[in-house]
Amino acid sequence: MSVIDLSTLQKTYGDSPAVDGLSLTVDEGELFGLLGPNGAGKTTTLEICTGQLTPDGGSARVCGVDPVAEPTRVREKLGILPEKESPPSFLTPREYFQFVGRVRDLSDERVDAQTDAWADRLGFRAQLDTRSSDLSRGQQQKVMLAAAFLHEPSVVVIDEPLANLDPIVQEQVKAFLRDYRAAGNTIVITTHDVDVAAELCSRVVIMHEGRIVADCRPAELGEETLLSVFLDRVGRGEAGGDGLDGAAAGDTAANRSPSPTEE
Amino acid sequence: MGSLTGRLFVEMLREEWRVHTTLFRGERFSLFPVLLTLLTASAAFGIAWTGTDPAFVLAGAFALVFAFGLHTGSIGLIGRDELSNLLGEQTRLVFSARTLPISPRRLLAVFVASDVVFYALMFLAPIALGLTPVVRLTGVTGVALVAAVGWLWLLLLVTFAFGLGVTIATIGLAQRGRVGIALAVVVGVALAAGTVAVVTDLIAVDLIAADPVAYTPYGLFREPTLGGLVVTSGALAGVSLLAARLFDVRHRRPTRRADPAFRRWNRRIGEPITTKTLLDVHRSAGGFGAVVFSVAILFVVTVGLVDLAGRITGVAPSTAIAFGAVLGLSAFTTYNWLTQYDDIETYHSQPVSVAQVFAAKQRAFVLLGPAVALVFYALAVGWQSAPLGEAVVGVLVLIGTSGYIFGVTIYLAGLSPTEFLFDTALFALFGLAMILALVPILVIAFTFAPVSPGALVALGGWSVGLAAIGIAGYRRSIPRWTARYRRR
Repeated sequence: MSVIDLSTLQKTYGDSPAVDGLSLTVDEGELFGLLGPNGAGKTTTLEICTGQLTPDGGSARVCGVDPVAEPTRVREKLGILPEKESPPSFLTPREYFQFVGRVRDLSDERVDAQTDAWADRLGFRAQLDTRSSDLSRGQQQKVMLAAAFLHEPSVVVIDEPLANLDPIVQEQVKAFLRDYRAAGNTIVITTHDVDVAAELCSRVVIMHEGRIVADCRPAELGEETLLSVFLDRVGRGEAGGDGLDGAAAGDTAANRSPSPTEE
Repeated sequence: MGSLTGRLFVEMLREEWRVHTTLFRGERFSLFPVLLTLLTASAAFGIAWTGTDPAFVLAGAFALVFAFGLHTGSIGLIGRDELSNLLGEQTRLVFSARTLPISPRRLLAVFVASDVVFYALMFLAPIALGLTPVVRLTGVTGVALVAAVGWLWLLLLVTFAFGLGVTIATIGLAQRGRVGIALAVVVGVALAAGTVAVVTDLIAVDLIAADPVAYTPYGLFREPTLGGLVVTSGALAGVSLLAARLFDVRHRRPTRRADPAFRRWNRRIGEPITTKTLLDVHRSAGGFGAVVFSVAILFVVTVGLVDLAGRITGVAPSTAIAFGAVLGLSAFTTYNWLTQYDDIETYHSQPVSVAQVFAAKQRAFVLLGPAVALVFYALAVGWQSAPLGEAVVGVLVLIGTSGYIFGVTIYLAGLSPTEFLFDTALFALFGLAMILALVPILVIAFTFAPVSPGALVALGGWSVGLAAIGIAGYRRSIPRWTARYRRR
């Protein structure tokens, strides 16, 4: 069953298309990665899915809800970590979690338990009562990550989950994401790091210039690696080749891999 | 290194331009000097037209430019929270000593120089030009007028640079911990007390054997003397050296902690975004004092206006109606404080609609704005023993204009009222909306006092009408800004 269903999405900024006729589905229980170079359209796609942006064309359904028509309802269902966003400057991490708890109608006890669990998991207990503006970028990322999971959503959308985190915390976050998926939840991430996508994701869609140029399962690539697929498709795109429409065309293992909806 | 300094100067100037165009709606900012010239000319000429001594108007302009210099230094060097809230995560070249092979002192010196040049061209030149009609009223004409305006511009520049230097030196002192802060406070209080004493003639001129004003940039403009020139130049050089000596570009603010207050506040307020908004204001530099200060300035201006109007016309204006109308203007500054520290993107990861954010801002506004304004209103009405009827209608006027200004501002500017101040077209629209609403009230307050019962009823009705327009503006703003924020 798909939790995200995008059909011929279109979004243009000025003269340049950020998302160009993009169609894809994400199934329940996937750890799905949108991989691509900077400016590929990954963040724009996520912003449309989370109701932050109105597309110029096409349609989207997320958790059975149209994010264009009902952005607030979509956000109720999702855990979201937007790109670049940091916790409010004048609230401490503890207060920010309490704020999120109130907005999402969680009990104080549940918020406190989650606060403790995340502070220990990512090691920011000592900063719980520090003003967020005085936290380092990495600490702010930890707080935003924890806030996205505070209400234990079944679908989480994360833009660059490992940005600004040190290697130890990166490993902890990766382990957590795998466990969270193993519990039956769906996670969608964007990344420009091929290694992260290969290591973490059950399925990866490579985007370039607003289009899907490959759709694959890293574990099933065989002789090919995700890096070689990425270089082949993105390099070809850079050289002026056409992108593929979804996973409908192409002759590599990457495109031969069935998408979960085809299974 | 000379060419490096030159390059840095050009890049910092370019950076200053981009900061302002980003803050104030892009290239339309280039029209700002024209608007500033017109505004200065109309305001200064308007005040002089009421019979105020042109010399007083010019002295006021120097005082404002000095305050502007003080303010600019604080925003550029310590207002990083405020800037990052407005512009997102950003770093200025002045803070790049760790990555560029240039000494922090040279970076600071070039930054200050580029800032002074930028403000000299974009702000001070228009102000000097705008003051031309007032300079003319002092009896200067022809070529001498052109020279006088040029001289005025130069002295305003010195005044601005002096204010900038004072702020940088003060921040440098404050960076040295509690002793530095205490010293800065003592020096500041002594200087303020001295200024007040001089301005209010508390210090007899013969006690210090000279007119202290003669040694200020304004004194130099009024009557250039060698002594004045030496003292002014010396003061500017002294404060610049002090600033360069005291300010540490690499200084890092200590980490600030806060006792958990969100839940406690939210239990009383009952809505999380309103709670967050009020906590933001409380924890920002100045806290709720900034809101009170903004209203206090309007209060002082109104005291002056009421007094001046009484002296010119010989008829005491209606204090209650005048204060009600002018204090209602505080709605704009209060709304500014309430929207200064977040934007719609702050709430993008949560199930919060634009309508909910706007409703929270409205609730915070109702809790904070009229309450502060009404305290000052009560002071004014008590001070002048206003008639009961006028006092009651004055409250209606205050609430009506507050609601109107809130509704118009949120409709035109959404959550970014500071940006639209510098958008020429929107600012003109806002100005027109204010004139249409407030001029009839002020005309009655200043020329038809004591206000007749019929006029009081009309004013009451007018205020209710303004409040209704404000509510309508607020309601219309929700679909308007919901669409705008998501279209991008």
